[in-house]
Amino acid sequence: MQNNILEIKNAKFEKTQGGFITLSYNGVFYERVKIIRLFPFTDPDRYLSVRDGNENEIGVIEDLKKLPEETAALIKAQLELYYFTPVIEKIIGIKDEYGYAYFHVMTDRGECKFTINMGANAVSKLTETRLLITDLDGNRFEIPDVLALTVKEQRKLDLFL
Amino acid sequence: MNLKFDVSEGIRRTLEIPDDEKIYYSVPSDVGVHGKWSDDRLCVVTKEHVCVVAEGKLIRKLPLAQCEQTKAEVSVGGGMLVTRYNGEQTLITRYSAKHRVRYSYIARGMNILSSGRDEEVISKEYETMCPVCHRAIPGTKECPHCSKKGGFWHDFFQLLRPYAFSVIGIMFLMIGAAIVTLLNPEIQKHLVDDVLSKANGDIKTALLCLVGMFLLGAGIVVINVLKSYFCTLLGARIAKDMRERLFIKIQTLSLQFINDRRPGELMNRVVADTGAIREFMQNTFCNLFTVAFIFAWDVIFMVVLNWKLAICSFICVPIGVWMTLKFRHSIHRRFHLQQKKDDDVSSNLQDVISGMRVVKTYGKEQKEKDKFNMLADDFCVINYRNERFWALFNPTIKFIMSAGIFLVVLFGGMDVLNEKMTAGALLQFVTYTTLLYQYLEWMTGMPREFTKLVACMERINDVLSQEPFTPDIENPLVHDIEGEIEFKHATFGYKSYQPVLEDINLKVKKGEMIGIVGPSGAGKSTLINLLMRLYEIDDGELFVDGLPIGDMKSDYYHNQLGVVLQETFLFTGTILSNIRFAKPDASYEEVVRAAKLANAHDFITRMPDGYNTYVGEKGFTLSGGERQRIAIARAILKEPRILILDEATASLDTESEFMIQQALERLTEGRTTFAIAHRLSTLKNADRLLVIDGHKIAEIGSHEELIAQKGIYYNLVKAQLEMQETA
Repeated sequence: MQNNILEIKNAKFEKTQGGFITLSYNGVFYERVKIIRLFPFTDPDRYLSVRDGNENEIGVIEDLKKLPEETAALIKAQLELYYFTPVIEKIIGIKDEYGYAYFHVMTDRGECKFTINMGANAVSKLTETRLLITDLDGNRFEIPDVLALTVKEQRKLDLFL
Repeated sequence: MNLKFDVSEGIRRTLEIPDDEKIYYSVPSDVGVHGKWSDDRLCVVTKEHVCVVAEGKLIRKLPLAQCEQTKAEVSVGGGMLVTRYNGEQTLITRYSAKHRVRYSYIARGMNILSSGRDEEVISKEYETMCPVCHRAIPGTKECPHCSKKGGFWHDFFQLLRPYAFSVIGIMFLMIGAAIVTLLNPEIQKHLVDDVLSKANGDIKTALLCLVGMFLLGAGIVVINVLKSYFCTLLGARIAKDMRERLFIKIQTLSLQFINDRRPGELMNRVVADTGAIREFMQNTFCNLFTVAFIFAWDVIFMVVLNWKLAICSFICVPIGVWMTLKFRHSIHRRFHLQQKKDDDVSSNLQDVISGMRVVKTYGKEQKEKDKFNMLADDFCVINYRNERFWALFNPTIKFIMSAGIFLVVLFGGMDVLNEKMTAGALLQFVTYTTLLYQYLEWMTGMPREFTKLVACMERINDVLSQEPFTPDIENPLVHDIEGEIEFKHATFGYKSYQPVLEDINLKVKKGEMIGIVGPSGAGKSTLINLLMRLYEIDDGELFVDGLPIGDMKSDYYHNQLGVVLQETFLFTGTILSNIRFAKPDASYEEVVRAAKLANAHDFITRMPDGYNTYVGEKGFTLSGGERQRIAIARAILKEPRILILDEATASLDTESEFMIQQALERLTEGRTTFAIAHRLSTLKNADRLLVIDGHKIAEIGSHEELIAQKGIYYNLVKAQLEMQETA
């Protein structure tokens, strides 16, 4: 079975008034397409699956960088819409109380506070140094490299490693 | 859950809506432009409009009349409110996962308003964070921190109230133990002062003192034994009563409540949390009053005897307590980490052992070995470090706490030499001091014991205070089912933000057999769960014989259902008891008849113990097909009015499938039947077929009609025929 690669030259993405994108591909018009990352953690900008309204795959974009600039920008904006995983840049404080840990952090999307359940598997290790933290509501936060944090911050995290 | 956050006067003005236009919902939209966190965005739904306000400015305002099919779409780590505005899919606003549930209600509410109705949707779900103190709420309705009704002691006494008699008895014993403990040093003093330190101490006084000491010693043993005995008894009784109450309660709760909790969590509440209460009663409560009483009197005696020495003995205590408090966090951290590493080792071990076949067939032993070694090393290092720390820390703290004793001996000894104090009095004082230190350590552990108890009690009370699921309405209908069923605009989802079934409309005649097909996860089993009244429909209605299902007496209703599921659950016990599960008073004749109809009689009689054959946990000694036939016998025995078959013949070999097929045909005759199947041949007797796809009924009709339609069903049949040909 062949990987279903989207032929860029036959594909025309267009922005809609409503904030989404349409696609004309091989003579078929799709009213709204979704872009899904196949490897969201290891390769977020490559292998992007383009899906129609019923979640069926139309094709896969191999590399965002190889697209014409305008199209790439359109797709990037859609990815931003569908993926919300703030990256923790600085840990301001962690307080634990009765089985819950209260985080106060600075992320790439601004300062925020969130709470995790220490009993559940709220912190998962993607690699030895890369963490994904899921809070009580299901929000996900990423720490791409624990070692890039200061020693003091790392000690605050110790409990969850 | 709050769907109406405050809308300030200023924001209301920016909406530019008439004064009499009612605001239905208002929820923060916490993700703004470029996906940045935002705390000044608000999505407001009024009677006529949906508006988004950001930084005090109106950035979007759509008339609801032009909005259709509003949806709260779930995306990775968040969601978006999307509507079809003038026919075009339009993004209204974004939010993080924090507000996902709220927006699902808002979407539902908007659709109601768009259709011209004006009901308001209310969310019965609980908040995850307390809006007042910003603490996490552990799955309870109210924040345990803010809603303290009378606080911990209130709850604690509430817990003890039914056992007041034994509690009072235990208290007397505790005070008795304290008095006896405190009297001992007094007699020692007499022994030293009146007998030992005097040249002419007489033997009579000495004996008297010794006898007194002996009696007190014996008394203490007797009192302690009695005390422990009664405390253990009390603890065991409380735990047992709690377990019973919890078990009864859990059975009345909805599957929703049970599914919402992590597997094992409820089991933990029944087993571990009640166990913790028992332990507390045995180990802590048992000594609570004794220690408090001794401690108080000990301090009073010391101050009265010699206040200067008392100060000396207390002087180092604050340092010790301060150090314990200071290190408590770090100690907790260290041991938590150790536990975590221990967990890592065991879960890795479990992974590898249960996946041993895969590891071996792919030749990955070396890799797994390295991984395990690394984890084991980590654990070893942490363990070693912690033990070294503890070995240093614990004696040091003890030493510092009790360092005051040196001062007491120094200054007291000087007083004795200067004849300001008798030797006996000093001995008595030293004994009191050691007693004090002994209990001080115990007391520093108290806060931890109490917090543990509070947490356990909270979790138990959380279950006990849950409303039971679909409590029958007053005077529920006791109705003998005919078998006519109707779904009207039924909508349902296990999580409110992800509907599994949307707008289901279906009318089934009495005695009709309905086959349900569709891809996995489309909602086939969910449809059946609703029919079985295991969940409540979110929107719409479900009628049985024209009566709303909610009005019927639930156990009477359930008694008329027959269910055969794919995974047959057999309880530990005999085949007989498993068949009789549905109808415990069934006679032997009835059981055998049911087994015969289910094609189970033959294999049962071939077993050495016949119907009395013991089937272990989950019936492991039986094959899948055999278990399935027992389940069918169980269903037949009940003479059900409605029959539900959920993949009853999947994963069986051809011969057992044939046997079961035969049994099912006998069973379905004349009964309203719902059968889910992947193998379409199983449904050849169905009067009508229902194709569920995309959360909706995609096709409905007889086999011939659906084939003629050339839709989903046609493709399924074609695919299965092709598969058979190639096989």
